[in-house]
Amino acid sequence: MTATRLTTPHAPLTITGPVNPEPGRRVTSRGWRLVGYLALVLAVAALLLPFYWMVMSSLKTNSDVFTIPIKWVPDTLVWRNYIDIWQRSDMTTWLKNTLLLSVLVTLLQVFTGSFAAYGFARIRFPGRNLLFLAYIGTIAVPWQSYMIPQFILMSKLHLSNTLWAIVALQAFGAFGVFLMKQFYETIPEELSESARVDGLSEFGIYRRIMLPLSRPALASLTLLTFVTTWNDYLGPLIYLRSPELRTIQLGLRTFISQYNAEYALIMTGSVLSVLPVAVIFLLGQRHFVEGIASTGLKG
Amino acid sequence: MKRAIPAVVSTAMALTLVLAGCGGEDEPVDPNAPVTITLAGWSLSSTPEFKTLADGFKATRPNVTVELKEYDAANYDTQMIADLAAGTAPDVYVLKNLRNFYTYQSGGQLLDVSEAGSALGSLPALAPYQVDGKTYAVPYRQDSWVLYYNKELFDKAKVAHPDGSWTWDDYVAAAKQLTAGLKGAGSTATGAYQHVWQSTAQGFALAQTPGADLLSGDLAYLKPYYQRSLDLQAAGAQPTFGTANTNKLSYQVQFGKQQSAMLLMGTWYVATLLNQRKSGEADTFEWGIAPAPQYDRSTAGTSATPVTFGDPTGMGINPKISKSKVAAAQAFLAYVAGEEAGKALAGIGITPARASDPITETLFALDGVPGDDLSKFAYGTHEIRPENPVSNHTAGMQNVLNDLHSAVMSDSKGLDEAITEAQARAKNEVLTQ
Amino acid sequence: MAATLTRLRPRRSRLVWRNTVAGWSFILPNFVGFALLTLVPVVALFYLAFTNWNVFGAAEWTGSANFRRMWGDASFWTALRNTFYYTVFHIPLTMAAALGLALLLNRKLRGVGFFRTAAFFPYITSIVAIAVVWNQLFSPEYGPVNAFLRAVGVDNPPGWTTSADWSMPAVIIVGTWREMGYYMLLFLAGLQTIPAQLYEAAKIDGATSWQRFRHVTIPGLRHTTFFVVVMLTIGSFKVFDLILVMTEGGPGQSTLVLSQYIYQKGFVENQFGYASAVSIVLFAICFGVTGIQFWINNRRES
Repeated sequence: MTATRLTTPHAPLTITGPVNPEPGRRVTSRGWRLVGYLALVLAVAALLLPFYWMVMSSLKTNSDVFTIPIKWVPDTLVWRNYIDIWQRSDMTTWLKNTLLLSVLVTLLQVFTGSFAAYGFARIRFPGRNLLFLAYIGTIAVPWQSYMIPQFILMSKLHLSNTLWAIVALQAFGAFGVFLMKQFYETIPEELSESARVDGLSEFGIYRRIMLPLSRPALASLTLLTFVTTWNDYLGPLIYLRSPELRTIQLGLRTFISQYNAEYALIMTGSVLSVLPVAVIFLLGQRHFVEGIASTGLKG
Repeated sequence: MKRAIPAVVSTAMALTLVLAGCGGEDEPVDPNAPVTITLAGWSLSSTPEFKTLADGFKATRPNVTVELKEYDAANYDTQMIADLAAGTAPDVYVLKNLRNFYTYQSGGQLLDVSEAGSALGSLPALAPYQVDGKTYAVPYRQDSWVLYYNKELFDKAKVAHPDGSWTWDDYVAAAKQLTAGLKGAGSTATGAYQHVWQSTAQGFALAQTPGADLLSGDLAYLKPYYQRSLDLQAAGAQPTFGTANTNKLSYQVQFGKQQSAMLLMGTWYVATLLNQRKSGEADTFEWGIAPAPQYDRSTAGTSATPVTFGDPTGMGINPKISKSKVAAAQAFLAYVAGEEAGKALAGIGITPARASDPITETLFALDGVPGDDLSKFAYGTHEIRPENPVSNHTAGMQNVLNDLHSAVMSDSKGLDEAITEAQARAKNEVLTQ
Repeated sequence: MAATLTRLRPRRSRLVWRNTVAGWSFILPNFVGFALLTLVPVVALFYLAFTNWNVFGAAEWTGSANFRRMWGDASFWTALRNTFYYTVFHIPLTMAAALGLALLLNRKLRGVGFFRTAAFFPYITSIVAIAVVWNQLFSPEYGPVNAFLRAVGVDNPPGWTTSADWSMPAVIIVGTWREMGYYMLLFLAGLQTIPAQLYEAAKIDGATSWQRFRHVTIPGLRHTTFFVVVMLTIGSFKVFDLILVMTEGGPGQSTLVLSQYIYQKGFVENQFGYASAVSIVLFAICFGVTGIQFWINNRRES
């Protein structure tokens, strides 16, 4: 709730009118900084509340998960759920599969996506816009409506019930193409024009100019693709049957459904599957630093 | 793009041709050669029934091996539809309820198994699987809905135990007395718990009301059943639908942890309750089973046959099975619906499709099952009507009725208004399509 | 762009050929996978929308029958109305929240990495946990939200997910809460592309914070904003899993949306032909709205 209230333009924007004299301004800005921190801490609390509940529920016995009213702090911490999951399930296989898929899909998506986006953003050729529309168009079709035709097709290609099915499913999406195209378009045309004059090939321009300048966009594409693949449940559910192919989401839910909606275990599994993603995000977000893109660009 | 269009279109055409399906291959048949048939199941490590059946069959036909394929319990039908459509489904698969039976049967995804069916003799649960004189699946489980009650909470509230003669009005009165009595005894437990599923009201209404027909489009038969539910939740004799829904109340916890004295539920809960008592997830207390409350006195009492509802769980054969395996698969089907498999299933707490005294005895010999006569009566004697009549309109009607259920039970809509609206939707969107 | 065009014109045909080859060679690696695995099934879907198909057998051509049926199908219209209801509120709320967060977290701040991760957490937290917690928070009798509302003097607080009138607002709130971190990430990436020199120049010119936001940040984010708007629009029109776990479309049909209706008709009622037709309509709406956005964007650009 607090988070939604934050949506209004943030603190410093409310200073309108003529520029304040410098000293006064510094005081207000320090004040605002404090208010900003306070708001941030409140917002973080609101954002992390379900996660907190997840962690707490994973430390309860199953029949204590749902109580009226909500019990935010369990009386005793039960670690059994974590031991149960590690001992009774095939967590290492799931993690291995998921990691393999996430890395492979992310690499392919980032590479082919950023590559194709250059074609769409910088090279003019007949039919380009139509083709691009086809890309965007497929995003607008709900997956559950074409998943059966797609499944039949993949089965004919002998891809179903293999990890390749998930790679094929996720790696060539339109999302990356669209995202990268939008970012390439913020890079001044003059840069690639002068490189062209210097005799750089189109590939050279992509490699030497576009890629280094779109690092924040590549970072966000990498993070989002990784997270999407990591958290995908429906894809593996439809395509994978063999227990040794299960991904973490599929494995956890199948494991949990064996134990009849045991929410304590569900939450234990959820905590375990979120943590690696959180770590990767924490590392990846460092690439959103001002100044990378702006160096070497016109003022 | 211009060059791409024809390619895309022709591939799409090829795909639609592929959608038309293709048949199974022929192989020479030798009755004693070793055969392996595949069987779809779910949650194999915690659902022992599939292994019990596979092992039991292996004992009678050593040359046939039944290999289990694991599916996801919650999304079994989504996965199965995909597999059947692509031709990658196992030889024998389970039909969780009759609504799905219709989907598969009408879609031509079930082999005619009249041969296995005719070997079964009289088996009431077989009837729904027969279409135009042919049998398309056989039942191996037949759960039905009964009333579970906590004897200790009844005693605490000083309310007389059910005697098998209850109509719904008796049930409502008892729930209110229990709630008041338990409150007086310092307990916060409620008299009853009604789970959030639509079946808890609609299953009984359809099965018990004379002349009720899901496919007639006349839904007035639902009214008394909802009036009683609304009355109970308004009186505080059961947790409200909103509370149960938003707090994800589980019926296993409500009854197993003694938070409600009565629970209407299917017979599958017997096995769950026994397991949870063992693991400590449920308290250990005296409990019993009574027949579900009845529409009127004519079917109530231990000298009558109470009416309740439940869909059989069946097995059918994938028509893409190779010819050499059909005989073995038919034999397996005849086995799972037979007396011997019935005993084996009862031995793990599951209600088999075949009802007989030895089978009931096997179940009641399990540790923790109540031994009183009423429980045995409730478990063994009843007329079970299907929850989902086999028809092309059943799935659509159940969706309409599910919306009615949540709208009425959450007090979002008046009962009469909701029934009128559901009838209009049934007429326009389902029954005339 | 315009400058490039004029320079290209003289030796047009050779350039066009060269560009076509170059363009396609960039697009091809992605396009091969995309065309085979996504485009082909989607094209098949367009065919299936005009048929009666039960998934298993051959699809039977029925012409426009599915679309005529849809016209008279009250549930379809309800789902469409609900989808618009969700979209109209979800888009601006999420945009504002995401942009606000991105601006707030795009500065040199102690612990900014932690805050950014926290903002992204709702997106990676299990959707089951999200539904469970928010449903409990919204629980009409015992939930903290209504306890708070009662404390501040609201006598008759809403029933949230158990009330036909308030279930959609509840879902919108949770949807916004869940997705703002995702779009914040995109805005953060976009903010990095605005040259710092522009801000400095604006400061020297004596522009206020608001003026800098209005005249530097907003135009600088134009490409990102466009991407976010398009993705957000399509995502909102296609909203599915959140509603499924939060309310399952209820109570009644109060939160039934098109994606869920498609799933219901297809996988539950086994009418895949009709389900395909409904998805074509959903596609057409998304595509129409996105097309308008493209058109507006192009006009602004030129």
